[in-house]
Amino acid sequence: MTVRWRTGAAGGERGRRPSWTALALFGVPVLAAVLGPWWGPSGPWTEGALPSQPPGAEHPLGTDVLGRDMLWLVLHGGASVLGGVLGALLIGMAGGVPLGLLAAGPRRGLDEAVMRALDLLLALPGLLVLMVLAVSGHRDWYWLVTAAGSLQVPAIARVVRGAVLAPGTRTVVEALRMQGHGWAYIHLRYLPRELAAPLATDTGSRFAVVLYLLASANFLGLGLPAASPDWAVLIERNSDALFTQPAAVLVPAGLLTALCVGGNLLVDHVLARQRSTR
Amino acid sequence: MRGYVLRRSLLAVLQCLMVLVAVFALGSLLPGDTADVLRGEHGTPAQVAALRTQLGLDEPAWARFWHWLGGLCAGDLGNSLMTGTPVAEDLGRRIGVTALLGVPALVLVTALAPLLGTVSGLREGSRLDRALNSAAVLLHAVPEFVLGLLLVAAVSLAAGLLPATAVGMDTAALLAQPAVLVLPVSVLTARHLCDLTRQVRVGVAAGRHGTVATHLRLLGMRERTVVLRHVLPGALGPAVQQYARCVEGMLGGAVLVEAVFGLRGLGSGFVEAVQNRDLPQVQAYALLFAGVTVAVNLAADLAAYRLAPRREVTA
Repeated sequence: MTVRWRTGAAGGERGRRPSWTALALFGVPVLAAVLGPWWGPSGPWTEGALPSQPPGAEHPLGTDVLGRDMLWLVLHGGASVLGGVLGALLIGMAGGVPLGLLAAGPRRGLDEAVMRALDLLLALPGLLVLMVLAVSGHRDWYWLVTAAGSLQVPAIARVVRGAVLAPGTRTVVEALRMQGHGWAYIHLRYLPRELAAPLATDTGSRFAVVLYLLASANFLGLGLPAASPDWAVLIERNSDALFTQPAAVLVPAGLLTALCVGGNLLVDHVLARQRSTR
Repeated sequence: MRGYVLRRSLLAVLQCLMVLVAVFALGSLLPGDTADVLRGEHGTPAQVAALRTQLGLDEPAWARFWHWLGGLCAGDLGNSLMTGTPVAEDLGRRIGVTALLGVPALVLVTALAPLLGTVSGLREGSRLDRALNSAAVLLHAVPEFVLGLLLVAAVSLAAGLLPATAVGMDTAALLAQPAVLVLPVSVLTARHLCDLTRQVRVGVAAGRHGTVATHLRLLGMRERTVVLRHVLPGALGPAVQQYARCVEGMLGGAVLVEAVFGLRGLGSGFVEAVQNRDLPQVQAYALLFAGVTVAVNLAADLAAYRLAPRREVTA
């Protein structure tokens, strides 16, 4: 899923330039998600507000299908989007990093067993798992995030295993062991430093994958309740009124797109810089 | 070659088994079994018990699994809890709509990705190359429902060009009005076309400057032959696996696209079944989606191994 596209002089040149477009695209939705909940009145309801009204003086972004203030909803809907993605990434790492380390350990049989078991899980398309989970009655938000995170475990374990078994790292680990350094020194001090860079890059590109999965599930009504201000839920609720009140769909859709594209551009930028310094 | 084929096929068989067990176990995750659901709130405990015996629900789990598997092999997917009609009938009615979306999208991706990838790989830094790069970065991981609604807003709402929805149209009606399909197919194609083009482009760009291509040029081979016979096949190996991801992604994408445009295909059928908690239907859809994924990934890994045997192929 990484972006391996730029080569030659153009890539290096672009890699050095700070990417203001990417920062702006990524920053606006993140700021809205983080600072939004602190802003404004305590609720989206106002006296006598009509449903699906276009933007006006009282409601800068109009109202949604239930007559709630769109601006309030949009500002409060980013927290669940961002929180869900970060939570799922943390769960994925909490499962994937230990398994990857275990697979990269000295025992060959363990390596085979762990990696083959994870290969089995790769057969499952993400959205399918989330839909089936919804049928089994696990419809709460935390189930959705846990499932989306667990689906990332095989890929993260693979990245960790690959990084630990890289020729340079393996030689150093052998040398450290011969110098008499213990398990704790190697696993808690040396390896985390070596793993930080590949894991950070992978997490960057995984951000978009998890965002896609969680937003799609919420759009299909598999996770958050229909009254939630989550951007994906807002898009679903208001998509029928697209022609009368486009702002109610286009503003949350724009914010989700900006988050995806901005995050993607930032990862692209970091990868290009890594390549040009190497 | 034979060892790899055996190992990879064994993995696929195990994956199929896991899916079958998981889908069957789904039934036991639900509170109450089919007999409770069928009798509803009005059934007396005696009636429910009789129905349970009649349906074979009091047998041990492995015996029920065996019967269920036997039914599947005979093509019996069970009856829908909501409508009582056979699930296979419902699938048959819906598959046409999804095929009308998926087949054109797959044809477009299959035909255009190698073409665009080769052209932009041969002209690195050209206008086409940069345009494709920007499009790929823009479209990568933007969910289909967001892209679909933004397109509808731009094309149908602002420009008034194409129809925005296809609510209630069946296969025949869609065939009579192909204009309805333009937006859904574009949404389904766009992202995967960019991803695949990018993959081919990277391979072509790397292969063109590689030692093999240089050597063939020194031997006096024409540039066209070098690219078409040697550089492009080398680039297609890794792209085959990306192609499998793209088929898998299109299945999920079809669910979202059908929801946005109101098409009554397999994807929206799956969503409806989930919302109604119609277990036999959900099981059938889950088996179909997971089965296609396993089969496509197996085929792609074997093809990739055949094209580039020494590459370590990831399952």
